[in-house]
Amino acid sequence: MAITNKTTVRFVLIASFILLNVLLLFGLSSILNYLNSGADRSTMLHLEKETINTYLPKVTWEELNNAGRKMEPNTLKTIEKDYLFSWYIKNKSLQNNKKQGIEDYYTQNARINLYSSIDYNLKNKICIESTTLQHHPKLEFYSEDGQQVVFTDKNVIEYQKVFKEDKLIAEVQDTATYKVLMLLEDGFWRVRHIQKMKPETSITTTEKPTSDYQIVGKKLKFKNADFTIKGINYYPKNSAWDTFGDRFNKDTITNDFVIIKKAKLNSIRIFIQYDDFGKADIQPEKLEKLKTLLDLAEAKNLKVIVTLFDFYSDYTLESWTLTSRHAEKIVSTFKDHKAILAWDIKNEPNLDFESRDKNNVLKWLQQMITVVNEADPNHLVTIGWSNSVEAINLEDKVDFVSYHFYNAIDDFETENTILDKATKKPIVIQEFGVPSYRGFWNWTGNDNDDQAEYHKKMQAIFKKNKLAFMSWTLYDFPNVPDQVAGKWPWQKNKQKNFGFIDQNGKEKASFSYITN
Amino acid sequence: MKKAIYLLFLVSALFLLAFGTALVSVKKASFVLVSKSKSFIAGNAIELEFHSKSESEKPQLFIIHSYGKTVLDATVEKGNYKFKIPENYSQKTGEVSWFLINKNETTNSGAFEILPNDKTKTIIENYLGPRTILAGGKEFTMMVTVPTDGFDNPKKENTNVILKHQFLQNITNINLKTKDFIAWNDIYSPTKSGKLLVSTECNTIATKEIETEIYPNIATNFTINYSRNHEFADGNQITHFTTSIIKDRFGNTISDGTLVSFIIKTKNNSVLKTFGTTINGIASGHILHPDHQETFIVKGYITGIAESNSITIEYKPAISSFNYSFSNKNRTLRVGPIKSFMNQLVPDGVKVKLVIFHQNKIIKIRYQDTSKGIATFNFSEDFYKENTYQFEIYTMGITKKIPQLNYGHN
Repeated sequence: MAITNKTTVRFVLIASFILLNVLLLFGLSSILNYLNSGADRSTMLHLEKETINTYLPKVTWEELNNAGRKMEPNTLKTIEKDYLFSWYIKNKSLQNNKKQGIEDYYTQNARINLYSSIDYNLKNKICIESTTLQHHPKLEFYSEDGQQVVFTDKNVIEYQKVFKEDKLIAEVQDTATYKVLMLLEDGFWRVRHIQKMKPETSITTTEKPTSDYQIVGKKLKFKNADFTIKGINYYPKNSAWDTFGDRFNKDTITNDFVIIKKAKLNSIRIFIQYDDFGKADIQPEKLEKLKTLLDLAEAKNLKVIVTLFDFYSDYTLESWTLTSRHAEKIVSTFKDHKAILAWDIKNEPNLDFESRDKNNVLKWLQQMITVVNEADPNHLVTIGWSNSVEAINLEDKVDFVSYHFYNAIDDFETENTILDKATKKPIVIQEFGVPSYRGFWNWTGNDNDDQAEYHKKMQAIFKKNKLAFMSWTLYDFPNVPDQVAGKWPWQKNKQKNFGFIDQNGKEKASFSYITN
Repeated sequence: MKKAIYLLFLVSALFLLAFGTALVSVKKASFVLVSKSKSFIAGNAIELEFHSKSESEKPQLFIIHSYGKTVLDATVEKGNYKFKIPENYSQKTGEVSWFLINKNETTNSGAFEILPNDKTKTIIENYLGPRTILAGGKEFTMMVTVPTDGFDNPKKENTNVILKHQFLQNITNINLKTKDFIAWNDIYSPTKSGKLLVSTECNTIATKEIETEIYPNIATNFTINYSRNHEFADGNQITHFTTSIIKDRFGNTISDGTLVSFIIKTKNNSVLKTFGTTINGIASGHILHPDHQETFIVKGYITGIAESNSITIEYKPAISSFNYSFSNKNRTLRVGPIKSFMNQLVPDGVKVKLVIFHQNKIIKIRYQDTSKGIATFNFSEDFYKENTYQFEIYTMGITKKIPQLNYGHN
């Protein structure tokens, strides 16, 4: 008994010793950690910030013809950057009612005014989300010593959401001209005076130039002849949802286009991912790949619907300027490309209605339509809604209405008729199909013959009503990313088997009914 | 029948009531702007008034101002909805856009203007630059003046500003008008150097003076001269070079601190340099006398800008000859005492060079500084083991050759 007691005592002693040491080490390390916090020396410096991926409204300087000193291009860039940051900081502080960053971009006398605005809004529980979409500055004056600059920022388009006590009370778009005096203080251009003025009457021609594609009533016309889209959604077999990734291969795409052309289809739908293309700062090599694909399509006389903003779901005002630049860059690059039929702003945006607020999503889509139309007046614009009910949203803004149909085949004609009556625009069934998957995860699923039967029926309806369609999809895919359908095998396997051609490259039974 | 009519009447009355109220509740209240004024003076109270037939609305006014955006609530009085613009906004100028929002819908919108308040005290901010320019009328300094009212609002376009500048006897007044917040003027430099004082005046308020320094323009060619204690190459005294008063082409003495290099060429074409910076236009440089007969050709330069004439300076030898003697079985050589130009001992530290030969081959060169006119060399047996040596002694440009000496070994 005495021995066990001794062992227990010894055990307890050793254990508590170890515990004490562990605690001591932990304590010491947290003290050291605390003393090290804030020790990053770069935080002492007022480092230059990058506007890319922060705030990028469209800025177009009028031709330089200012009084005073001749402006240097580099200085103008710095001024533009600091000026845009002054807007960004102002927007941010009106949104959060915080004063952070204001002193970096407003001089001592100017910042007092912003502070009092923030204090007032804070007291009255008001917060205002805002962004500016366009700036057209004209340099008026640049001083001989390079320390003062005056410019008139003409017709700034501001968009704001007004909240009181956390409730949205209004969304307002306003256009105003601002006159700005900035001073160069310790290397930073700061706003000294900013004064809102009446907007200038602008002479902008909004008339669409005559393009190859026209919408006449319910008809889509290509070079004045009726054009019925008979198309397919396209990913190369081995790079599903990653057309422009590392596996991008010219030969694969050429072969696929031959198959599509032989199947007597006339158009394809492709997808561009926001992150993949470099967000606001578009990567040139991605544009190069897109051009290759479009050139191949043109060679085969295939029309392309390019879907933008795939895998993207940030609709907040804060990111508007970034997404605008993304769309603008891609769209303007290919505005004269013969292969493009239309820009699809986003795939199935209505799926984000619940999580991101319907109003936010619609307003964003509307803005993107404006941007795309401005950057490319030659091609059409549509939105790929995930069902026929939501497809009526923004019907007046798009050139033609697109929706996806995955419901029971018997409901198709009814659904399509209801939508057709509700809109004055042409309709495209932009996605439809069934997977041919019967297996461990799905005992009762369709097999290849069922899939063929489905397409046969659908094509018959399309033929009868002369409907425009784009089926989902050319290939069965060996790999499907998690973001698309989900990570579980019963979700994924379904998504893998929508194709007309199986994973081994053999045509499935449905291939005979790929078009009508 | 009567009953039926009653019933019909009752039913229709009921219908009317039901649908009537429904109609009223659907109808949107409309607002009319009562305030007529579209422009206000900064600092004065601003109130927007709307009228509506409906007296129980809760409209809000969203305003966008140069320095912020906010939402205002109304005070209601018999269908008159009044919005008071907060002071921090009504004090600052510019266009103010307003949007009347009722039940989440913008019903009316418009804008009014706030103008600077000329009755408040004028405040002027001046920016003058560059703050140093060169005389001669090619360069200029720019005065930028930003007159504001008491609330720090830039004055209206075409506000009069008087710009005054003084240089020596000249006082100039220039009338300017503001445009784009500022009034500005270029003031070109006079031909004389000095201080240029600038100030502005607006609305009888004057500013302090600000000055721009007018520096002399760049130097023109100059002359140099030299002075020395004596003309002997004694390696001890110093020769001073001085420039004439260096001036720019307008006759201004160039700025203090201008660097002048004196480049000296010797007889055998080696180059020596000495430098001086100007004070009151004169730079001086110094160089030690050579220790042998020498001719210096000296020229002064302000690099890339100006140069001087060149002068020639002759140095006479300080000694004509010197003595030496061997002792301690030729193991000790004593050079000196070396006597200078007036038979005084040469200063300490004069270099004596001794070249030692054995069978006409140099085996060692030794140097020794004089002390009290004498330099001593020792030739230890341990190091100088040969039987014969020859020597040559050089000092202050004089050479003495010593024929072969014997060093016997005992």
